Amino acid sequence: MIEIKNLHAEIDGNEILKGLDLTIGDGEVHAIMGPNGAGKSTLSYVLAGRDGYEVTDGSAELDGVDILEMEPDERAAAGLFLAFQYPVEIPGVQMTTFLKTALNAVRKARDEEELDAIGLLKLMKSKCKELGISDDMMKRAVNVGFSGGEKKRNEVLQMAMLEPKFAVLDETDSGLDIDALRIVADGVNALRAQNRSFLVITHYQRLLDYIKPDKVHVLADGEIVKSGGPDLALELEKKGYAEFTKEAA
Amino acid sequence: MSAVTKFKPRYRADTAEIGLIDWDKLPPMSAEWVNALRTRAQLSVIETGMPTAKLERWKYTNLNAKLKKMSLRYHEAELDLSGMTDYAYSFSKGMLHCPEWVREMLEAEAPSNNKYGDMMLWQAANAYLKDGFIVDVPADKKTTSALEVTQTGRDGHYIVPRQIIRVGENAEMTIIEYQSGSRSYWANIVSQIKIEKNATLRHYRFQENSDESVITHNTHIEMEEGANYEAFTITTGAGLSRNQIHADLKGENIICRLNGVNMLDGSEIADTTITVEHQEPNCESYQDYRSVATDKAVGTFQGKIHVHQIAQKTDGYQMAKSLLLSSQATMNTKPELEIYADDVKCSHGATAGRLDEDALFYLRARGIPEKQARNLLIQAFVNEVIEGVTDKNVREQANLIVSKWLDQSDANSSAEWLE
Repeated sequence: MIEIKNLHAEIDGNEILKGLDLTIGDGEVHAIMGPNGAGKSTLSYVLAGRDGYEVTDGSAELDGVDILEMEPDERAAAGLFLAFQYPVEIPGVQMTTFLKTALNAVRKARDEEELDAIGLLKLMKSKCKELGISDDMMKRAVNVGFSGGEKKRNEVLQMAMLEPKFAVLDETDSGLDIDALRIVADGVNALRAQNRSFLVITHYQRLLDYIKPDKVHVLADGEIVKSGGPDLALELEKKGYAEFTKEAA
Repeated sequence: MSAVTKFKPRYRADTAEIGLIDWDKLPPMSAEWVNALRTRAQLSVIETGMPTAKLERWKYTNLNAKLKKMSLRYHEAELDLSGMTDYAYSFSKGMLHCPEWVREMLEAEAPSNNKYGDMMLWQAANAYLKDGFIVDVPADKKTTSALEVTQTGRDGHYIVPRQIIRVGENAEMTIIEYQSGSRSYWANIVSQIKIEKNATLRHYRFQENSDESVITHNTHIEMEEGANYEAFTITTGAGLSRNQIHADLKGENIICRLNGVNMLDGSEIADTTITVEHQEPNCESYQDYRSVATDKAVGTFQGKIHVHQIAQKTDGYQMAKSLLLSSQATMNTKPELEIYADDVKCSHGATAGRLDEDALFYLRARGIPEKQARNLLIQAFVNEVIEGVTDKNVREQANLIVSKWLDQSDANSSAEWLE
């Protein structure tokens, strides 16, 4: 269960989040939609703990523990996962090395037994198969030379391996064609579980055709200005964000 | 000696004694020509002294300041040859029965001596010609295992080992050198390498010298048509190291690779200075270096590609990337292209920067603690060069050295950047 209360955050002294409240129950999928500059990506970075984003007020609790004081890697170990809008290319670090290092770091922090090379390979192969990722991709450097679709599938693969309690998907649909979108969405849907919550951040309703949300929120000017069921996404698709940006202004 | 006169104002004859420690006490050799060569070299050192920062190619590295502080006595070098030793032998004491080709190489002028006038260390090495080893691989012989040479420096020693290497036509050879030692010593090494027609030499160097040591190493490679040279050097230390490489590409279709990794901490100084002479058409040369510097370490890379007018269709590549992990670490990079042919492909690049913050955050967001994430990125950075090494064992050893360095070095501490 995620509880974000009165979250204020700024970058270089500019306040971007202005008192955001959001509660996501176990196993629920919530979507956040909103116009450019509303603070959608800021929210995802603040939750993941990126440098340069300063939290000035409020809290974000994951199963009752405030994660905002934690280092980024501690948040990951606590069960937070951010699927990046723009996954970073890391030349020279092979996918298998990366996955093994990440998984074992998280397992160690969670007091679980670390996996040996064979155990990891087995797990990786089965997850890759589920997501339609070729073994060849695992031999390459992290995200280097990956197509847009491959990068996003890779994010889902990492999510599948790290088994988070709470996953934030930051504009996962950006840069994807319909086929790639469906594969990625299927991957996410396969990970839906009773003890796992999702926050899907998106501009467009399109992604929500594939990943059905329980609730939809509109984020404008750093606050949640409207919440509703899946129908709200359809309504936004028709009307646009004009009324919210006007309100905010 | 006309060139010497021309550059004379830059010389500091008063530094000569640094390069002539115990020279008077050297026992004469039974081969007269060696004694004559030594004396000629000694006179040259007396005239020109040691290289000073006034010389263009020495402007970043102050050798004399370092050497002056050391208290050294000349000693025979401690060299151990193992592995594929069939074609290797140590210099015989008297050199009376020295093969003619070896004598020719020993008596040859230092490369580019006239042009730059900064080959004093070569002369200084000639003045002590006594020990070292010779490798002579006969034509068509393709060796499967490597010759391993271990050089150990001892406290207070000045050593001057010579290396003479010839790889005959169509032959293939791998040489791995390990340098290490304790406390304060100076090794002034000259390697002369001849790679004949269509022959291949893979040449790897592990330089793990002590923090107080000075290593000056001149390597001269002469390559004939179709020859292939692959050099990889990893340096984690020496208080001061100067790896100077001069490659003469004297035939067509030569491939010459000069690659390396420097991992520097403390107040180490590591200088790599390279000249590649493209003297014939259709050759390829590559220089690919990665340097990681932390604390107050200073790295220098000077790489020159000289394409002669006749050397059309030359493919010259040079890349020097550096990672500065502390605010007081320094990296000097000076690429030089001198091209007289009009149909060539030459590229060079140099970067200096910190670790990629985006990549660091991405790794940490996947649960990898900061120190481990930083190490992973540093490893990846140097791996760009290490993975290009043909020999698998050398790749693995190089990776181990990098891991060891990362464990020991304070490079991992990000504290300095937090302010």
